[in-house]
Amino acid sequence: MSWLRSYALLVRWNALRLRFLLPLFALVSTGLSVGIIVGFAYLMPTVDTTSAAFLATGGPTLGLITVGLVMAPNMVAQSKLQGSFEFDQTLPVPPMASVAAGLTIWIVGALPSLVLSVLVAAFRFDLDLQVHGLLVPAALLVALTATALGYGMAHALPAAAVGLVAQLIVFVTLMFSPVNFPADRLPGWLQAIHVVLPFQYMAQVIRETLTPAAGGISVTPYAVLAAWCVVGLAATYRLMTRRG
Amino acid sequence: MDLRIDHVRKEYPRGVLANDDISITVAAGEVYGLLGHNGAGKTTLVRQVAGAIRPTSGTIRIGDGDPVADPGFARRVCSVQPQAQVPLMGVTPRQAISLVARMRGASRAEAAGATQTLMEALDITEWADTPGERLSGGVRRLAAYGLAAVRPGRVVILDEPSNDVDPVRRRLLWQHVRALADAGAAVVLVTHNLTEVEGILDRLSVLAHGRVVVDGTVAELRAEAGPPVRLEIAVTPGREEPSPPPPFRSPPPRRERHRLVYRLDTGDSATAAEWAARLQAAGAISEFTLSPVRVEDIYLALEEEHDVVAS
Repeated sequence: MSWLRSYALLVRWNALRLRFLLPLFALVSTGLSVGIIVGFAYLMPTVDTTSAAFLATGGPTLGLITVGLVMAPNMVAQSKLQGSFEFDQTLPVPPMASVAAGLTIWIVGALPSLVLSVLVAAFRFDLDLQVHGLLVPAALLVALTATALGYGMAHALPAAAVGLVAQLIVFVTLMFSPVNFPADRLPGWLQAIHVVLPFQYMAQVIRETLTPAAGGISVTPYAVLAAWCVVGLAATYRLMTRRG
Repeated sequence: MDLRIDHVRKEYPRGVLANDDISITVAAGEVYGLLGHNGAGKTTLVRQVAGAIRPTSGTIRIGDGDPVADPGFARRVCSVQPQAQVPLMGVTPRQAISLVARMRGASRAEAAGATQTLMEALDITEWADTPGERLSGGVRRLAAYGLAAVRPGRVVILDEPSNDVDPVRRRLLWQHVRALADAGAAVVLVTHNLTEVEGILDRLSVLAHGRVVVDGTVAELRAEAGPPVRLEIAVTPGREEPSPPPPFRSPPPRRERHRLVYRLDTGDSATAAEWAARLQAAGAISEFTLSPVRVEDIYLALEEEHDVVAS
């Protein structure tokens, strides 16, 4: 059976299994993105243009990160605990078709929060958002990278630890990553760490395709994200096909 | 396509020996029973056949293919019902079974037809369109069987498929398992439901502590197991245990609370029936049955023997 046919059937299989939870996940991640845009503005006495641009684009980015790096790995961990992962492993389909189908479902689940939170941000800060043609590819790359890393994490860690680590990741990206604020507000050592980590690049590609960037669209973030995406996919493949 | 397991040994880290030099062959068209106590190594063995785990040593062949070296081959030729329940959250049995049929290569129409036929055979059409989370454990188990049986591979692995299933549908299930083998599959059946399955088994192995302690056809096992007839009596509570006629004194009966099971030669059947009928008439026993020895009796005797050896 062809790879594409397997993929299409697995998308259907995953969509059926997640059809009640996925809308809920989309709702929660939308709430989170919108919450950041509205709530963080309360923390600041005045929101200048730079801060507004960061919050308006950081919120949607965090929505994508939450779906990919919190919700997706949690569901993978649950499928391992409940036995559906073990069953799926016996199906006559290529392992990567199975991963691709899972990623597809999560990316679809992540997109509503992006659209809705961008609209809320434009309204809240009265921003003049200029949607660049690269927004869709950028958002897909962010969602794909986050979910690929989430999958890798879910297969690398014991199922019971996935939830905790996922919470830690979302807390760190929310408070200590240059997603909602410029990197120069962080101490030097933390800035240095973020040169390697994918989070600031996720924020950057979304920001630059929504707000007119002075220097145009940077290429580096796409390269770094693509590299992290490959790492996530390779780790996922390696870990899910390993046998005891 | 035959399944051949040759000198398979599986040792987990920390020295846990799950399979110790297991060699069995399951021919196409056979139902092969895999019996044994909890933790005997049955599930470990079938998971190696399905390509999910690697033997420490030994070989497994399905036809000319090697499921250990090529897990993709294992997934194509084996259909598996795992021991754990398959979660069907949000998915109805019809959707799940027909989707798996399509993943195994059926067209949409073929999948729909095969799903309907299978659900009718297992008498679960009533719940065909009920989402998994609202199904009872037994129906969910039958649906999981359906996932393995709808378009079976050449090797079908069923790990305790009858758990939670009601007695009427268990009979339907066993008939269907037999039909899978008759249609040419090599069926490996892990079960504890010995009395029910002995009629559909062609061969069986009993595993204990990772080793095959006995294997053969049901008839061979019976022939090797000593006296072929069993007399079971239920002593009336409060009454003394009756003293049997001399031919029944050896081997000593197996006891389960107030029930005694004697093993007899066929020629002693008439004497046994008369003796038991007399006891029942006198009220010393509440009931009796005279029947061919069951695989379960042989199995229990083996387990006792093995426990004695192990201790």
